[in-house]
Amino acid sequence: MKNYLVKDLMVPITEYATVSVGTTLLEAIRVLEQAQEAYTVSKYQHRAILVLDPAGQVVGKISQLRALKAIEGDHEFNDEIDEMRKFNFSEAYIAQLRDRFRSRKIIIEENTLRETAAKKVEEFMQAPTPGEYVSEDCSVDTAIHKLVAGTHLSLLVTRNKEIVGVLRISDVFAAVFHEMATLE
Amino acid sequence: MTELEKLFNRIVQRVNINLRELNFDVSPFAVELIPPDQLNKFYAFYGITPDHPLDLHFEHSALAGSYFLGKCRVRNSLLYKSDIRGDELKRKDQQRQFEKFTLTLTKDEIIDIEDSALVKTLVHNYSHDPETPEKFYIKDTLAMDYANIHGSPSDGSFLGPYATVDLTTMRDCVIGAYSYIQAGEISHLKVDPGTIWVNSPGNFNFFYKYPAELLEYYVSLSPDKVPWGILIDFIEERKMEFQRVFDFVNLQEIESIPKTASLDRYAVVLPNIKIADNVLVSQRAYIENSSLGKGANAQENCFIINSSLEGYNVTAHGAKLIEADLKLGVFVGFNSFLCGKKNSRLTVNEGCVVMPHTIIDIDEPLEIPADHLVWGLVRNKEELAKNSIALVKLNAIDTSFSQGRMHFEGKGAMFVKAFKDRIHHILDVNGAFFENGKNAGHAQKNQRLSLNTIQPFQFGANKGMYPNIRILP
Repeated sequence: MKNYLVKDLMVPITEYATVSVGTTLLEAIRVLEQAQEAYTVSKYQHRAILVLDPAGQVVGKISQLRALKAIEGDHEFNDEIDEMRKFNFSEAYIAQLRDRFRSRKIIIEENTLRETAAKKVEEFMQAPTPGEYVSEDCSVDTAIHKLVAGTHLSLLVTRNKEIVGVLRISDVFAAVFHEMATLE
Repeated sequence: MTELEKLFNRIVQRVNINLRELNFDVSPFAVELIPPDQLNKFYAFYGITPDHPLDLHFEHSALAGSYFLGKCRVRNSLLYKSDIRGDELKRKDQQRQFEKFTLTLTKDEIIDIEDSALVKTLVHNYSHDPETPEKFYIKDTLAMDYANIHGSPSDGSFLGPYATVDLTTMRDCVIGAYSYIQAGEISHLKVDPGTIWVNSPGNFNFFYKYPAELLEYYVSLSPDKVPWGILIDFIEERKMEFQRVFDFVNLQEIESIPKTASLDRYAVVLPNIKIADNVLVSQRAYIENSSLGKGANAQENCFIINSSLEGYNVTAHGAKLIEADLKLGVFVGFNSFLCGKKNSRLTVNEGCVVMPHTIIDIDEPLEIPADHLVWGLVRNKEELAKNSIALVKLNAIDTSFSQGRMHFEGKGAMFVKAFKDRIHHILDVNGAFFENGKNAGHAQKNQRLSLNTIQPFQFGANKGMYPNIRILP
């Protein structure tokens, strides 16, 4: 049975979709499409975009879910939702309120789409959390624990302090179940 | 540096240490808060009465223009024109029920103020904290103009101007200007200005927040400036009338006051007024050309101008009524501002509950139907429709509803009952139901109250400070 390391399965950052802070959502999606076309190593497509600061450090990530959230404009009423939580309103009431807020907004509509396309990535990207990093020399076991515990779709792979790649859940999944299949 | 400056700096530092986790610095607000040259200009005074135990203990503090009643200890603190009313403190051997616990007091409760600065602040009621039934503490706290600390022990907190914390223990909290909080217990909470929050966990939760841009017109606060806005201007314009009542030792008594009513010697009364039986007018209240029907009350810092109160009305601490007609049993909560105009009067019909910190400011006549709850900002009929509900409708709410900027969750009937019970309790303790020598309350007991004054150092390093004093029966 093969003892995989993180670096065996990661996508090198040079092959991943990356954009700089200040890029619009539409430009970012185009970069993602280009990266998907260029990447032929795996049948699984890239599904996220990394956001880099001027020094080339990863400062955020945009998943497909995050991009849809940007279109939906969830954050417009997130402050009010957070406030309700702060003042002891129940999760049931908050869910009801969220539905009501959402129903007020039509998403597939020219103005909404134009507005969202022009949004800068830093407005809606997700900043990496401490549990989202994994060293390239770690075993895949460690990476699986991190993916499961943090419900992440990918991990940022580090060499010393530098980010050198992305470990995608799809590649880990494929490797694990390939090994499982060989047992039969 | 004078002793006063040292004391003030120490208090600011202590409050800041407590609020560091909220990243809130009170220093900019404190700069203009208390003019040091004013602190030796006003005497402090205290009430003596056979109805309340007396034990006043002042130590290393400045007390300019402040009033004390009952049992109170003030240490390393700076009080400016504040009212510390200990006439509702719990007594030795009294029993209090809290959830499954029955608490028996081993001694009389005391208001204990330490390392705090209170400016034009009212401290009243008693500690509702079951962990400290014998001590209503206010510690490392800075309260700005016209704040109310009502039955709310406070540790390491800041209250903006016109903020009220009611029946709530608070630790390390920032309460924004014109916010009203009644939530039992809060800690490490930063509350935006104009937040009205009444929460009884498991029973009901009421929340409303003023639009910031509209609230600014009424109360504003920014670093390095004294608070401003219509509510501040309103009081400033009437300041001179209060100067007169504080300057004279003996004022001429008003003869038309019934024997069962009480008009405080430090209230301003301007013609023409009518006061019926069992009425209570507290110190620093201002009554002008108005009538107060049987059992009505005007508590501290209330202004009632060109208005009529039919009877059994509660005008809670800091509430203001201008060109308004209140029918029987109308309740107006803390710091509310009900402002009709000469040709556009406000009528509030029987049984209405005007929530604490409500602003009604109209340019056309407005009538609030009987038995309604009103909250928030109301400037016309449309806003009244959005910010009010019939009590019978609210009674029927079983889960939740929202209306405009208001959110409510829980049982409406419990919310209505809590308010109605409390209104009845306030009327009762104020003596509104006094009849044939029974049910005496503040209105009757205050008639047996005498006042003494104490003076600060006028010269030297201690200028503005008060000597250490212990006053016992």
